[in-house]
Amino acid sequence: MDIKKKALAEIVGSENVIDDPAILDCYAADCSYAAKRTPWYIVRPKTAPEVQALVAWANETETPLIPVSSGAPHFHGDTVPSAPEGVIVDLSRMKDIKRIDRRNRIVIIEPGVTYADLQPALAKEGLRISRPLLPRANKSVIASLLERQPTLIPRFNFSLPEPLRACGVVWGSGEIAFTGEAGNGPMDLEKQWKNGVAQVDPKGPNATDLMRLLTGAQGSMGIVIWASVKCELIPSVRKYVFLPSESIEHLIDLCYKLERIRLGDEVMIVNAAQLATMIGSQTEEIKVLKEDLPPWTVIIGLAGAAHFPEERVQVQELELKRLAQQCGIELLGGLPKISTSRVASALESCSAEPYFKFTYKGACQDIFFLTTLDKTPQFIATVFLIASRLKYPLSDIGIYIQPQHQGVSQHVEFNLPFNPSDRRESEKVKHIFTEASHALIAQGAYFSRPYGSWADLVYSRDADATRVLRTVKQIVDPKNVLNPGKLCF
Amino acid sequence: MSTQIPSDAYRAIEDIVGPENISSDPAFLDSYAFEVMAETIRPNFDHFMPRPWAVVLPGSTEEVAAVTKVCNKYKIKVKPISTGWYHWAAPLTEDEPTVQFDLRRMDKILEIDEKNMYAIVEPYVICAQLQAEIMKRGLNLNIIGAGCSTSIVASTCAYFGAGPSSYYMGHNSENLLGQEWVTPAGEIIRTGSLSSGCGWFCSEGPGPSPRGVTRGALGSRGGLGTYTKCAIKLSPWQGPPVMEAKGRPPGYRLPIHENFRVYSIGAPNWDAWANCYYQIYDNNIGYIFHRQFNLAGADLAPSLWLNYIDPTKTINDVETSVKDPEIQKITEEARIAFQFIMQGNSIEDIQLQDKILDAILVETGCYKVKRFCEPDMAEFTNMYLQRLGHKHCNYIWVGGYMGSWMQPGTPDFTKNYVPVAVKGFYRDQESHQLVECGGDAMMGCGSTIGGGGYCGLEQFVSYDPLEKDSVAACVKHMEDATADALANGVPPGKEYLYLQVGWKQDRVFDAWAKMPQQFIFNFQRKIKEAFDPNALGDRNYPWLPEGWGKKP
Amino acid sequence: MALEDYRADAMRCTRCAYCKWIPFDLIKSARFSKGCPSMEAGKFHSYSAGGRLVTALSLMDGRSTVTEKVKESIFLCNLCGLCDVSCKICRYDMEPLEAMREMRATFVSEGNGLPQFAPVIESLRTEFNMLEQPAEKRGDWAKELGIKDLAKEKAEFVFHAGCRYSFDGDLSHIAKTSVKILKQAGVDFGIFGRSEKCCAGRAYDMGYRDDFKTEADSNLKAWKKAGVKTVITPCSECFHTFSRKYTAKAGSEIKVVHMVQFVDDLIKQGKLKLTKNVDLKVTYHDPCHLGRQGEPYVPWNGKEKKIFGQAVAYDPPRPKYNGAWGVYEPPRDVLKAIPGVELIEMERIREAAWCCGAGGGAREAYPEFSSATASERLEEAQSTGADAIVTACPWCERNFLDGTNASGSKLKVFDVIELVGQAIGEVKQ
Repeated sequence: MDIKKKALAEIVGSENVIDDPAILDCYAADCSYAAKRTPWYIVRPKTAPEVQALVAWANETETPLIPVSSGAPHFHGDTVPSAPEGVIVDLSRMKDIKRIDRRNRIVIIEPGVTYADLQPALAKEGLRISRPLLPRANKSVIASLLERQPTLIPRFNFSLPEPLRACGVVWGSGEIAFTGEAGNGPMDLEKQWKNGVAQVDPKGPNATDLMRLLTGAQGSMGIVIWASVKCELIPSVRKYVFLPSESIEHLIDLCYKLERIRLGDEVMIVNAAQLATMIGSQTEEIKVLKEDLPPWTVIIGLAGAAHFPEERVQVQELELKRLAQQCGIELLGGLPKISTSRVASALESCSAEPYFKFTYKGACQDIFFLTTLDKTPQFIATVFLIASRLKYPLSDIGIYIQPQHQGVSQHVEFNLPFNPSDRRESEKVKHIFTEASHALIAQGAYFSRPYGSWADLVYSRDADATRVLRTVKQIVDPKNVLNPGKLCF
Repeated sequence: MSTQIPSDAYRAIEDIVGPENISSDPAFLDSYAFEVMAETIRPNFDHFMPRPWAVVLPGSTEEVAAVTKVCNKYKIKVKPISTGWYHWAAPLTEDEPTVQFDLRRMDKILEIDEKNMYAIVEPYVICAQLQAEIMKRGLNLNIIGAGCSTSIVASTCAYFGAGPSSYYMGHNSENLLGQEWVTPAGEIIRTGSLSSGCGWFCSEGPGPSPRGVTRGALGSRGGLGTYTKCAIKLSPWQGPPVMEAKGRPPGYRLPIHENFRVYSIGAPNWDAWANCYYQIYDNNIGYIFHRQFNLAGADLAPSLWLNYIDPTKTINDVETSVKDPEIQKITEEARIAFQFIMQGNSIEDIQLQDKILDAILVETGCYKVKRFCEPDMAEFTNMYLQRLGHKHCNYIWVGGYMGSWMQPGTPDFTKNYVPVAVKGFYRDQESHQLVECGGDAMMGCGSTIGGGGYCGLEQFVSYDPLEKDSVAACVKHMEDATADALANGVPPGKEYLYLQVGWKQDRVFDAWAKMPQQFIFNFQRKIKEAFDPNALGDRNYPWLPEGWGKKP
Repeated sequence: MALEDYRADAMRCTRCAYCKWIPFDLIKSARFSKGCPSMEAGKFHSYSAGGRLVTALSLMDGRSTVTEKVKESIFLCNLCGLCDVSCKICRYDMEPLEAMREMRATFVSEGNGLPQFAPVIESLRTEFNMLEQPAEKRGDWAKELGIKDLAKEKAEFVFHAGCRYSFDGDLSHIAKTSVKILKQAGVDFGIFGRSEKCCAGRAYDMGYRDDFKTEADSNLKAWKKAGVKTVITPCSECFHTFSRKYTAKAGSEIKVVHMVQFVDDLIKQGKLKLTKNVDLKVTYHDPCHLGRQGEPYVPWNGKEKKIFGQAVAYDPPRPKYNGAWGVYEPPRDVLKAIPGVELIEMERIREAAWCCGAGGGAREAYPEFSSATASERLEEAQSTGADAIVTACPWCERNFLDGTNASGSKLKVFDVIELVGQAIGEVKQ
């Protein structure tokens, strides 16, 4: 056994050090355009001390570590090593749900806890968390939150990292420190609980928001070993309503109105291709759905929990009807030829395997960014212009607009399905991705999660962020052992 | 040591801002050194903090940056303030040359983006001004507990950020969007979508969020440069476009719009209070949620406020009415009370929220405090909490107020320390050197996080700043409160932060070195080294020298 | 009183800066939210009421000395009293306006008065007016009106025109209209005409208390001799001085009525019929001295006591003066009674009114500051869409007229009495 493998085995146990080439190859590339680079090992720690020991070892040996919590497929290149001699730190064995605190509606989980793990456990306590759209069953909840994946319920989204609260972190320097209110207390969650601390407050500690330095970091600042997450009540009454339209422009005014007053739970705007992909289970079905569905639909989940849930839904529906009438849009209780339960399933379940976006053609490339609602039509026009010029069928492009931060910002996502075996189509999509990314950034689209090639585009235009983030990186990971080569590092 | 600003530095700054915008007149400087609570920490109960060497009124970000660079050259500390309230707004130590920035010339609302619900402001725009403008557009903002006279930039970028409306509208750290920061080195740094040239609407990213270094649970309070602009997220307002206050001063009233309900809710005990809180949290009703009136002390509050809203009455009337049996009944009813305002998107919505609240009250044994829910008090409550323009009532008894406790936590956590705080305060009032308002003068926001679930209660200690014995009694209370907290397994409260302002640097470092986690202080030291290489910021931005407190 | 008597105010000031703004509950826009003209001009905290209290403390404790800038920070002020109203929203124990007056008196007594005041005070001493006009011209406005001369006769009411109405040719017609109204109402009144002396309220505000006392005593003596029980005046500064300062500082027990109050009573009793249409959109400016400083005054001579341990109260209870009971309704009721007049309110009204800029010696010592203050008010008036700004004080009118003349604004300036005069056909429209 070579020295490195031996050292790793001493930390995590030999059965948890993998160097099988076939398995390593799975981590060498993902569904993005990230350059292939094979890691040397995969290690699977189980405990925080093991993680800390790994980071200490990485510092001693100057070995890149790439933290990965979710199962495959991966999409954005953040889990593909950018530097040689990398070691994948697979956190999937850290699967503890450490505490469900119903009264304070906080759950504390380890990084390996997936949506499939968490949802039923919370449901037993009558709780849920605001989730992203159709997460993979093997998607790590912590990873999703750290990535700032947009969540479906804007009214709960008091800030973009919500519902993420405090974290326990092994920083790139090897130190462990907690974020949020957990950063004020003893380095022991049990002791904190005994003191009545429930890891509710994400802010701090002190004059720094350490948690915010972890989100969007692609594992390059620290490895999160636990996180507290805010929960909501499971509604006892639910209803989905739909606002169809021929054009996005026609929906914008209505969406501004309903987002402003925080109407509904789930709120999203989707085009026909997107909705078809969300609910269809086969290629042919998706094709038909695309034809049958309205060009654009706002989907709103009306929910009632705790007291008088039926009346809560009724009142919201009444208010929504009034707004829809004002804007000349029809409010529907269902979509023609589509059962509402299929939509409900899309919004409440995990994605089909391997991933819902792959159902139509086998692969999919996404482009996403943040903006304000009024600007979305211009970005849609840009992508369509480029796609059209490159002769990609516009009707295939899925568009998903997810209000964030209680309506102040919107996550805008374009999904470009393609047949991975069709080289021409694959190249076409790659061209669209590249051209559109450039064009959108130039137009003012905010690529707040700069994966892969977006990093250069973003940071070459953003000297302030580069300056600050490199300073932070130098502090928390002075030897740049955590996922080097990502972002501006 | 000379406390005259070097003439070259003065002249260089004068060239930047104009001679009318800089002063080193001692009397003028004293108006910045004089600060509330200075007497609790200064030698011999002095009301003056250390004097700045000059006060400068910059008019733009560029002027702030240019003057900061001059200060770097001459190694003069920079201490920016907007409205400048509390002792830590002034220079902190005697022997450090400091220029105080008074940002009052930077007072513009730059933009209100009504559709996307944010406003961009300069540091001297106060909450009341922006609120008046955005209400015309059906919007509102979180006003922090210190009231509507405070700077939006300060509470969003550089200070705390919780207020009675945080429950619905978010803590101002959650409401921070783009910001512009002049570092102590004089660099201009923007964060969020702003730094990427995409506008002001987002504070996160790109990638990890640089705004994470500019503030956390608290901000740098002037200790890490100057914030010159920010965008703040707004919230919906379903009331009238203009708040038409009625009546005579001081107790103006705001008629209650049909989309609102305004209540004072009483609890039979603190367990019921906590249960009621959690039910409100679970049911997600409410707009403004605050324990306001108890700042005057539960023993005296009803008597004070019922006289306050009568324009013919004065404090002398409180002395009489507190003995009135009717008032005494109300006092007991309101002893564990809080204020609760609900806003509906529609009549149906507000009626439903009302119904939900009634159900919660029945379940928890809480109740509406009858007298406080009558129109005169309810309209006064409405005015008080919507505009938050009476925060100076913190000082109503005698001009001195210091807030102790206020450790934030879950409602159960807070509920547990209240009896300790109350008992301790009764004890400390036995000296007769504090206002004897009863042991429970605890005020606090329903939540310091948007959506609820986290709160703290602050003991309002009223003392006479004119009388040394009274100031000394307040200081003793601060020390007692810290001791009481620690003895009961609760971390020290706000009084500890206030006291630290008067400590020598080393003692502060020792205290921080004893914290369970020092990571943050070392991190902040390195941030300071990077962005404040000449150490122009003071210890309002905390940091630990390398190796401090570590055992060899 | 001495400055040391205000040490408690200074030490108990909390630097909350409420004194810079109108009462926050009353703010309706960002544009018209500020309350302190001194702060707008001076900008440093020392120019606020709170800042001046600190200056007082700093000087008393020997931490600083009086410099030219310090003098400016004290005197660049109209003593409009807005700060006092705002401070007292939450405080029963602070008297910032009185403290600032005390500071001026201290400065003057210690030789730190403003040289700009010297000719004005000299004029008061020798010509009994503060406009540097010859005393012999004082009664010219009333010539040929056939009014009783109280220097020689007696009457129950004295009509005190005041210096501004007596000498300002643009404004004296308002005094004339006033006396015509009084005559029409059958009031037994007289004037002192050429013998009338300045109320000297402005001298008090400038810090010249001895001069104030001299004139106050002289006026009270003259009124007593003439059998006067009530002073009627169309000047708000005189109104305030007679009803507040004379009562507090000179032991007066004379009743004082402002002309608008008198006219309001006449209208409500049906004794004055307003029959002519005056088609005008107006906005009303509350003069500081009639509004927030026009509250009824009850002399108090007591001391501070402590209740509930350390809370401040008074023995006997001290009356509260916070602008709540100023003369706000009578001028408005009069305007509303004039057929054709449409009253549109500004945002900063009643106790929160922005000052015209003329008072406190500011017009005399700092004319640019005075006119800038007036311009701010005129801008606010114009923002209402009104054709005219109407008020009840000649000093306000003078400052506004100077302002509109300088800017070429079409906004007209009227006194309430002037419009009443039009409505009864006494004055041409």
